[in-house]
Amino acid sequence: MRRLRSVSVAASALAIGLVLAACGNIGSGGSSGSGGSNETYNAGATSVVNPSSHKGGTLTFALKNTPDSLDPGNMYYAWEIDFVRLYGTTLTTYKSCPGACSNKLVPGIATGLGTSSDNGLTWTYHIKKGLKFSDGEPITAADVKYAVERTYDRSVLPTGPTYFQSLLQDSSYPGPYKDPHGNLSSVTTPNPYEIQFHLAKPFPDFNYVVALPQTVPVPPDKDKGSTGGANYQKDPVSSGPYEFQSYQVNSKLTLVPNPHWTPNEDPQAKQLASKIELTMNVNANDIDNRLMAGDLDIDAYGAGVQAAARAKILSSPSLKNNADDGFANRLWYIYLNTKVSPMNNVHCRQAVEYAANKKDLQTAQGGPVAGGPIASTVLLPNEAGYDKNLDLYQAKSDPGGNITKAKQELAACGQSSGFHVGAAYRTDNPEEVSAATALKASLARVGITLDLHGYPTGSYYTNFAGVPNYVHQHDLGIDFGGWVPDWPDGYGMLDDILNGNAIASAGNTNVSEVNNPEINNLLQDSTSQTSTPAQRASDYAKVDQITMQQAYILPEVYSHELDYRNPDVTNVYSDQAYGMYNYAVMGVSNSSSSSSGS
Amino acid sequence: MTTFIIRRLITMVLLLIVVSMVTFGIFFLIPRLAGQNSYELAAQYVGRNPTKAAIMQMEAKLGLNQPLIVQYGHFLKGIVAGQYYNSGTARTWCGPPCFGYSFRTQQPVWPQMMNALPVTASLAIGASVLWLVGGVAVGVLSALKRGTVFDRLSMGTALAGVSLPIFFTGQVALLLFSYKWQIFPNVQYVPITESVQYWFSNMVLPWVTLAFLYAALYARLTRAGMLETMGEDFIRTARAKGLPERIVVTRHGLRAAVTPILTIFGMDLGLLLGGAVLTETTFSFPGLGQFTIQAINNQDLPEIMGVVMLASFFIVLANTVVDILYAVVDPRVRTA
Repeated sequence: MRRLRSVSVAASALAIGLVLAACGNIGSGGSSGSGGSNETYNAGATSVVNPSSHKGGTLTFALKNTPDSLDPGNMYYAWEIDFVRLYGTTLTTYKSCPGACSNKLVPGIATGLGTSSDNGLTWTYHIKKGLKFSDGEPITAADVKYAVERTYDRSVLPTGPTYFQSLLQDSSYPGPYKDPHGNLSSVTTPNPYEIQFHLAKPFPDFNYVVALPQTVPVPPDKDKGSTGGANYQKDPVSSGPYEFQSYQVNSKLTLVPNPHWTPNEDPQAKQLASKIELTMNVNANDIDNRLMAGDLDIDAYGAGVQAAARAKILSSPSLKNNADDGFANRLWYIYLNTKVSPMNNVHCRQAVEYAANKKDLQTAQGGPVAGGPIASTVLLPNEAGYDKNLDLYQAKSDPGGNITKAKQELAACGQSSGFHVGAAYRTDNPEEVSAATALKASLARVGITLDLHGYPTGSYYTNFAGVPNYVHQHDLGIDFGGWVPDWPDGYGMLDDILNGNAIASAGNTNVSEVNNPEINNLLQDSTSQTSTPAQRASDYAKVDQITMQQAYILPEVYSHELDYRNPDVTNVYSDQAYGMYNYAVMGVSNSSSSSSGS
Repeated sequence: MTTFIIRRLITMVLLLIVVSMVTFGIFFLIPRLAGQNSYELAAQYVGRNPTKAAIMQMEAKLGLNQPLIVQYGHFLKGIVAGQYYNSGTARTWCGPPCFGYSFRTQQPVWPQMMNALPVTASLAIGASVLWLVGGVAVGVLSALKRGTVFDRLSMGTALAGVSLPIFFTGQVALLLFSYKWQIFPNVQYVPITESVQYWFSNMVLPWVTLAFLYAALYARLTRAGMLETMGEDFIRTARAKGLPERIVVTRHGLRAAVTPILTIFGMDLGLLLGGAVLTETTFSFPGLGQFTIQAINNQDLPEIMGVVMLASFFIVLANTVVDILYAVVDPRVRTA
């Protein structure tokens, strides 16, 4: 009996322990939401939801995967560029306001936007005086120059954009790690608060380039020894409203307020929450469920909820009131390759354009709400040059496809009975899988047979669709893709995917392998010093028109996403420049927060 | 006995070397045989629209342009003797066992795995206690109450437990106990060093979910073993001696029936310590299983090599421990 009694005592203790543990968790989580103002469906697309200046609480983010890096000089994803503003301020940035207003470029740590001189070859910025890093040291032009210099060493910081290397004069500079006594001569600092960039050729969009995180200042003396270089990501010196408290790489980040930051440093950011936590590698469906349960504040990746949560939100009025059909600043489209036979014939490409059922493609991408409106152009609606009337293949007026016209184009192509061609898509993107299946079905109506080839996203461009030799060997004449422009402008959208100069042997983003002299010249002209914004818009519109006439690209949707906002989060709105919520201005209204008490 | 143990340990090391060669071959040799050169391999790690110079810089830095045998030699040398790594601003010493540096994060692989190990260990050890105690207890009772409602109910539940995948039971557990009723809200891993209470409360659902699967299996195995054992002659003899039924069951019946269970238990625990992929993914726990998925998704070859080696180590170690325990129990094994 003694043994039995001890077993029951242990069982009772375990039960009591479970109850106590559960109670402990209730106390720490399960925020109920304070119910802010104007919480209605899609309110965040055009207005600030739950506006508040309340300070305190913990703002919790979760990420479905891991970042490239948290080093401002080594990141490229849209969510990273949004998130980095919490601990780093660039020379220029985007205005913090809802809707189309957020596409406007404004000064960051600079006193104003840059001014160009020397026939557009020199861009000058003045740094605000009195700004400080999180360690109390002053921010100067030399820190911005060093931040740019270090990005030249692609063996240490491989993932960021390469605009400085391609635009500035001394492209062969090896970076300060390999050449500690060298100097990037194309960036000069006439005085501690002035910085000049000397370009090899004019580039009117340069103000957008310096809005990328590579101009977040880095003090040279903090990028040294065992905590510098590849390890700088673990604790970068902050120039934003928050600083690193702890970071376990690819696992968890905790930010706390930067005591030396003032709103003058970046008027577009706020310092409201007393702590910000980012947990990485959280199951995507788990993120959605935690958001809806009030246990989590923001999905850091910012690409909208998954299909399961989407259905739940749209069918529940109370959940729907906390959701936004946000513009994702992305085009989903299909590359029509110009080198793979018979897609190298414009009529065969046009047959594909006509035969595709755009409605089915839209449904595959998530439907009109979470997928987005059917697209008929390459330019996004928020970009200069966009022409809403450009619809050469009746994508909007006849979204089911025009079979008669498709057959006529097939005949003109010499393939009256159709043809076989390979199609590449990403197997780990459920919407793209559905879109590939839908396209296969719709093209079969005119005798075009697609051989579907699925690849993982991680190596899609580096090993498969982005390697022209591989594309040719496997007859991948149709390749699914998507593009988020580096800045909300025609050049940011078009240059990488349509300029002949962008064709590369690996990591190629011009998958259609378009090398059209007219397009190349228009893109070149748009960067000339004398071009005005109106002229540039006209150039981009022409590029769009030629692209559609030549059927280089089959647009699917101007991507939208269904975002869910925890009612506890304040100052929530969709920011078009980043294609997601603006992370730099958020706070929480409930100070008990949704942290798990850790 | 000492000779036996030494022999087993040598076999263990040789097995790990074979595993390392096979893994290295799969991820480094096969892509080359499929036509991928080191330049294309390096292009995966240089971001979007890389310049040729940038790819070549990365190719040289990662050592991908060296002969495969040299790359494999560096890998083995790192594990045994450590190696230096250039972080850009310093030459950092990575002491043995150095499994190299991540091609993506440029962080040493070993500390990352050691950060993930406590998560997996918390999960595996806690769940294993639950399933061993629960599974064996239910199995014994079912065997003793053969044919009763309890037996049928428990075996029916066990069948469900074996049949239902973790990503289903885990999701149901989360839906009910976390999202809906908020008994265990916001389940996430909290280190035991931070808070014992939160570590425990956040582990309950993953433990129960994982243990449910294994306990079901163990209950069925224990029941079968007990039914067989309780029909043996020595049990009849024990009863004939007048021993109380409790002693007959625990000292004679269970002891004989549980031996194969313990063997399987060692293997299962070894397997789980290498990463409980489904459970960690369902509950978003940053353990070795999730580390493995992340490494594969990122095509991060050093991380893949490291985690495969560590998982193999646990499995081989568990095998060796089981072999040694067998030898302790049964001297005939030592000479086999």
